[in-house]
Amino acid sequence: MDLSSLRGIVGEDNVRDNVAELYVYGADASVHQGLPGLVVKPHSIEQVSQIMAYANSQKIPVIARGAGSGMSGHAVPMDTKSIILDMKAMNRILEIKPDDMYCRVEAGVVDDDLNRALKPYGITYPPSPASSRIATIGGEIANNASGLRSVKYGATREYVLGMRLVLANGDIIKLGAKTRVEAAGYQIHRLIVGSEGTLGIVVEATLKCVPIPKYRCLSVATFDQLEKAGDTIGAIIASGAEPSMLELMDDIAIKAVNKTLNMDLPEVEALIFFEADGKVKEAVDHEINSMRLIVEQHGGTVTATSYDLKERTKIFGGRKKLFAALSRYKDGWACTSLADDMAVPYTQMAATARKIHQIADKYGLIMTAYGHCGSGVMHTKILMDPSKKESWDAAKKAVDEIYDFVDEVGGITSGEHGIALSKAPSWKKTHGDMLPVMTKIKFALDPNNILNPGKLQDAPDDWLTATKIRYQML
Amino acid sequence: MEVKYLKDWETEMNTCIRCAYCFEGCPMFKEKGWESDTPRGKVVLAYGLFTGQLEPSDYIAEKILECTFCRDCIQRCSANISVPDILTAARADLVEAGFKYDSHVNLLNKVESSGNIFGKELKAPPHPGKTPVLLGCRFLERSDDAKRYVEILTKLGMEPMTVEDEVCCGMPPGVLGYKDKTNKQKALFRERFPYNEFICMCTTCVFFIRKSYTDLNPTYIIEEIYKRLPEANPRQLGLTVTYHDPCNVGRGMDMVKEPRKILKMIGCDYVEMETFGKEAECCGGGGGVLVTDRELSEKLARKRYRQALDTGAKILVTLCPTCELNLANMAKEDGNKIEVKNLLDLIWEALR
Repeated sequence: MDLSSLRGIVGEDNVRDNVAELYVYGADASVHQGLPGLVVKPHSIEQVSQIMAYANSQKIPVIARGAGSGMSGHAVPMDTKSIILDMKAMNRILEIKPDDMYCRVEAGVVDDDLNRALKPYGITYPPSPASSRIATIGGEIANNASGLRSVKYGATREYVLGMRLVLANGDIIKLGAKTRVEAAGYQIHRLIVGSEGTLGIVVEATLKCVPIPKYRCLSVATFDQLEKAGDTIGAIIASGAEPSMLELMDDIAIKAVNKTLNMDLPEVEALIFFEADGKVKEAVDHEINSMRLIVEQHGGTVTATSYDLKERTKIFGGRKKLFAALSRYKDGWACTSLADDMAVPYTQMAATARKIHQIADKYGLIMTAYGHCGSGVMHTKILMDPSKKESWDAAKKAVDEIYDFVDEVGGITSGEHGIALSKAPSWKKTHGDMLPVMTKIKFALDPNNILNPGKLQDAPDDWLTATKIRYQML
Repeated sequence: MEVKYLKDWETEMNTCIRCAYCFEGCPMFKEKGWESDTPRGKVVLAYGLFTGQLEPSDYIAEKILECTFCRDCIQRCSANISVPDILTAARADLVEAGFKYDSHVNLLNKVESSGNIFGKELKAPPHPGKTPVLLGCRFLERSDDAKRYVEILTKLGMEPMTVEDEVCCGMPPGVLGYKDKTNKQKALFRERFPYNEFICMCTTCVFFIRKSYTDLNPTYIIEEIYKRLPEANPRQLGLTVTYHDPCNVGRGMDMVKEPRKILKMIGCDYVEMETFGKEAECCGGGGGVLVTDRELSEKLARKRYRQALDTGAKILVTLCPTCELNLANMAKEDGNKIEVKNLLDLIWEALR
């Protein structure tokens, strides 16, 4: 690789090739560890374009990277020649148009920073994933991110009106519009959302905004049976109620929070958090009350309800701190992002949670089930001793079995964390029909296969050997 | 490289889920912008050293040393990982592997030769009494200030006793990763300051002692003042100030409200900076960065100083003598548009 060419584009200070820096950029929030050849930090669309033109001419892989908070290995390079494009310096908010309800930003803008800037205008960009404090808009687009409130507000794709994209050969193209609807061509920008950096580099996005709701009310309910909680979720959605959040926590999640964080959540089989928001208090009241009724009809007990932010924060504290609780649930065990994010039909929610528990027991692992069940999203983590090879073998079998089950019940491998590496084998197994078409699209846009190669349909069939594993195995 | 100290932190490094939430408030990342400047990046480097996937290098040592131990990352972490502890272990392993720097060695030589970070003979101003008071190197050097601060305790009904021959508590070698020197200094400290319960004037010392000495139970001077001040009927100063939360006080010892309540007790209004309390930005003086890379430390201090200036207050109050020094240097550089004071000075004014 000709370092001087790249330094000529972005400047000496914006290129790093020290092995230690490369090692850092070879990691993300997944179990994978790679090593790129170079890290380059562009500051403009033109620089990205020139870098791509150079990389394409030399057939060097390029991986765009935001915060590197992906859990499936999206930003982990598969080739030691790879260039990591650190997009975090392209972080300007270019335009806020409250009257037209959109904003235009560079790809490196952090989600929370954007929402802080939008707040004075009374508008918000709502898909915010849990990682919104550090996640970049570019990363969220690459992953079609969504979060706690996706049940009402949906995922990123629904908010990307348009974008500027740098193609593999360095061409800069403008996609989409600034309007709410569009019937003009293939709407390629919608295809780019969720393409995990394999089709182009998103450098700028035009994003739909919505008004900030004036009222928000949160309730929590206990259930003595997981199945009753599962049925409640389906019934709430089917009733036409409009929750702004509908979350499930199973008994293991509850115990983890109580044990690790010394909290005193009721140790029942399941908790459901349900929330409504809106401009008119009576309407929010109506939503909350209608959901409360459904909860009670299904044998649940509502234990707290509040509009007050402090109270809501307290009510939701256990769910909010679940990650921390799981990380420290068992000494010496690690909380790994494997089989961490699936979506299943509402009626299969409880059965999926039960299945996850059974599979975990079968393989001597600890797994919990929680998530944005109002959107059908079920999260879990695999807790295991990462130093033992047997743990990883068991985890691999567990992942396979969980995803086989998810497929059987009509679910999908990823609800919001994406496929990349660690979910690719299961996804490829169940979605074979789609792969040749995706490959054709990929090669139409990236004939030299330089954009995040080795991910999605191109990923190895065994995630365990796809890269080094970040943990040291004995 | 043989990893003697990082071994103890393997579980903690595995507990880190690498979510990157620590990026959010990290002053080093905000200043430098590369992922090796983030807490996660530094933990990944430490893990690379631990597993042997990375060979130690000056680049890695530099990154491991470029952390002010401001603890912002801990409060934002999904798993409450104690990054400063991991980095302290990494620093110790790097020192054992021969990565020693002149600025560190010079400082530690001073501590060894004189018992304090200034390398000169310093004595605590004599004050007979019953309750031992530890001044710490920085207040030892500010003898006149220290005298007044000790008097605060007298005015609050205590009988403070200084120990003329007190020496450094071992924080500098401890933070920089010089384990042997730390242990030696700690032993000397115990010999010269043979008390288990005492009042500590310096934020950094009290925080270090609480973490590093299992048998010592120091009270931070502000805790004592906070308890006793209301009964002393302090004078109302009628000032408007801004308050900088030292990292070891706000995040480290969970003391955000106490200094502010004290300000109110002495009739001072305070205007908050852009970041304050648990989210207050670091002044750049901690974690040995001031010794390792003064220029970098000053860049962080400059940012914090600007935040103080933006409040419009004419007085910037803090507690930590290192924060005070770093911020006062920035004020001086900027034509003293704001006066930097220790809260203890205001308390003294209110009690004299």
